[in-house]
Amino acid sequence: MTDDVALTATDLRRSYGDVTALDGVSIDVPTDSVTALIGPNGSGKTTLLEVLLGIERPDAGTVDYAESDAGRRVGYLPQRPTFRPDDTVRETIAFYAALVEDDPDRLLERVGLDTVPDRRVSALSGGMTRLLGIAQALAGDPPILALDEPASGLDPAVSDRIFGVVDSLAADGRAVLLTSHALSLVERTADHVVVVEAGGVAARGSPAALCERTGGPLHETFVDLLSEPTAAVGGGGES
Amino acid sequence: MTRQLDRFWTVFAREVRGLVRTRVVFVLGAVVAALAFGVARAGGGPSGGYVTTVVDLLVVVELLVPAAAFAIGYRALADATARGEPAVLETYPLSPWTYVAGVYAGRAVALLAVVVVPLLALGAHVATTAGPETTVLATHRGVDSVALYVRFVALTALLGLVTLAVALALSAVANSRRRAILLGLFGLLLVVAGTDVTVLTALGGGLLDESALGTVLALTPSGAYRGLVFEHVLSVAFEGRSGFVPTGIALVASLCWWASGLSLAALWAGFR
Repeated sequence: MTDDVALTATDLRRSYGDVTALDGVSIDVPTDSVTALIGPNGSGKTTLLEVLLGIERPDAGTVDYAESDAGRRVGYLPQRPTFRPDDTVRETIAFYAALVEDDPDRLLERVGLDTVPDRRVSALSGGMTRLLGIAQALAGDPPILALDEPASGLDPAVSDRIFGVVDSLAADGRAVLLTSHALSLVERTADHVVVVEAGGVAARGSPAALCERTGGPLHETFVDLLSEPTAAVGGGGES
Repeated sequence: MTRQLDRFWTVFAREVRGLVRTRVVFVLGAVVAALAFGVARAGGGPSGGYVTTVVDLLVVVELLVPAAAFAIGYRALADATARGEPAVLETYPLSPWTYVAGVYAGRAVALLAVVVVPLLALGAHVATTAGPETTVLATHRGVDSVALYVRFVALTALLGLVTLAVALALSAVANSRRRAILLGLFGLLLVVAGTDVTVLTALGGGLLDESALGTVLALTPSGAYRGLVFEHVLSVAFEGRSGFVPTGIALVASLCWWASGLSLAALWAGFR
């Protein structure tokens, strides 16, 4: 892990009508590490991720990326990656690889799908589809990977494998930014945790530092933080 | 520029592969061939020559080709949106224009195969069954020729390509398969009848002068197609009569429908 920062977001604000999704969030995403955004449903995690990716435009605030000569700036795994069901695994990844002149076989090998290149996407399990999504996110070797709920809806063994892959991606020198409700896996894998609540940052720190608040697992700290009446701190405040 | 061209071919190849795999092209091609041959033979056109075959086909083709274009195009972008693909593609150096152009070109190749191949096969059938007065080139009015039939096929292909662009625009706006079906049906009605009905209603209501009817009808996709077929294919059968539609206006109007459809699709894809 280094102190280099891949992405800096400052005072992000985003509203949908009367609903405030982001209320002055500031965040740094370091390289060589996994940064996890955790929070209850509807807290603004996915909106924050999409604004950081550039898919959503903030109403105010800035997102700055470190210089990079990679084929693309950010790789993105959506919450439910869906591909053309009739295409094979290799055809699917070859499409994305061709857009950034990458090697599809390298990408499949990286996530362990090189053993099933001819399998139709419709015949893949949920975990394999997620791995295919991660392979897609890796195309063009982007310095930042944004993974939205990479293990949601998967059984524990597959979730464990997905987080193993995520961990190894950060070890390759990337900045991995993910959202997740799998707090035990986040506690084990993430280097930095940002607790998002009501569009603001309620707390941030390493999993160990956050766990010190209650002395229990991250899950306990999470519940404890959210039970506080003024949990969310707009403007990216720390706690 | 070269890289965008490479990406265009990547998108194009995926579209063609997907259409071939779903077999929709083969089914549509068989339907178009069966209807074209069936209608032409029922009308006795092939034994009379190319022009009589075109007379038999014109109304059917005017409905069939837009229907085929919408069948091939109505889900082209809506399916991708339903899969969440635009958000992923936004992280790639792929412009919405390149993406839409690749999707359109892939679908256009499929549409041309569906429409042009059966019509050319029918033309070959006419060549073997028509009487001796049918020639290769029409040297004067009243003479039938294969060149007239080739013009008809080319104009029909133009109608298909214009309609496909409209279908793609509506597919871009739809964000689910259900909405894509509804918008597709709306678009088909618009192209096949809606624009003509609007013009004729305006004429009936006194909003439009009768002398301008040909020009205004040339502004609609099907009106332009019909007018151009009359002007450049069937006119040999109308002694002393021409000027069914202003050719330049009909072609420019078709180009505008085509360009507007693709531009709307690309702008919408970029907007999301």
